[in-house]
Amino acid sequence: MPDTFFSYYLAYAAALGIYALYALSLYTRRKRLREKR
Amino acid sequence: MKLSWLSSAALIAVAATVVRVAFFTPLELRQGAAQKIFYIHVPAAWVAFLAFGLVAVASAVFLWLRDPRLDRFAESSAEVGVVFTTVVLITGPIWAKPIWGTYWAWWDVRLVSTLFLWFIYVAYLVLRGAVDSPTLRARYSAVLGILGAFLIPFIHLSVYLFTTLHPQPIIGKASKPSLPAEMLWTFFLAFAAFTLLYVAFIVSRYRYAEERDAIASRPDLHA
Repeated sequence: MPDTFFSYYLAYAAALGIYALYALSLYTRRKRLREKR
Repeated sequence: MKLSWLSSAALIAVAATVVRVAFFTPLELRQGAAQKIFYIHVPAAWVAFLAFGLVAVASAVFLWLRDPRLDRFAESSAEVGVVFTTVVLITGPIWAKPIWGTYWAWWDVRLVSTLFLWFIYVAYLVLRGAVDSPTLRARYSAVLGILGAFLIPFIHLSVYLFTTLHPQPIIGKASKPSLPAEMLWTFFLAFAAFTLLYVAFIVSRYRYAEERDAIASRPDLHA
């Protein structure tokens, strides 16, 4: 069995990081709109 | 920051998936830990197809009814779909390198057509930002939203029609899934968790579009 743990950790870190960044961008954009109101 | 019950449920489901993948799902004999990328890569691809498919449906109905809520939904689904496609395009090469020996193959139709799908919906978002008139913006983007989705069945069938490095489906096929039960249940959990994450993102993105349009229609708030 090949040692592929690095790829596994890297893929999960990248995917979860992208989802977290998108969630943060949604939160920031909505917050800015509310301030404008 | 207060999370809605939907966002909280999506967060818990994704966390449960990550824990189950790490501690309660066996390693595959030939690929080792890299096979676990399957549980994040395939659900992201499913959600991307779902998101762009719904963009096309909402856009088609919009062209018929001209209801701005459909345009707002299409806009939200396209943006979330681009996020999930980005995950597909990043996790795929990371998985491919140790298994195929290369990150990417430009002759592989599945890979390149998925990249084209990403470009089309990025162009959709750029188009929305470039047209000032809300009526024209909604109409132009609805047409692009429908045309882009024609790639989805082609991408799905590409592994049957062409010689590709990318494997054929092991779950979404006519015969029984070729995965042991423990792996199959992990996949179902991941599938549900990321679909729930899509719904949570859509609700939040739709509300943002609604609030933005409400502000745009108030003349006292225009700069």
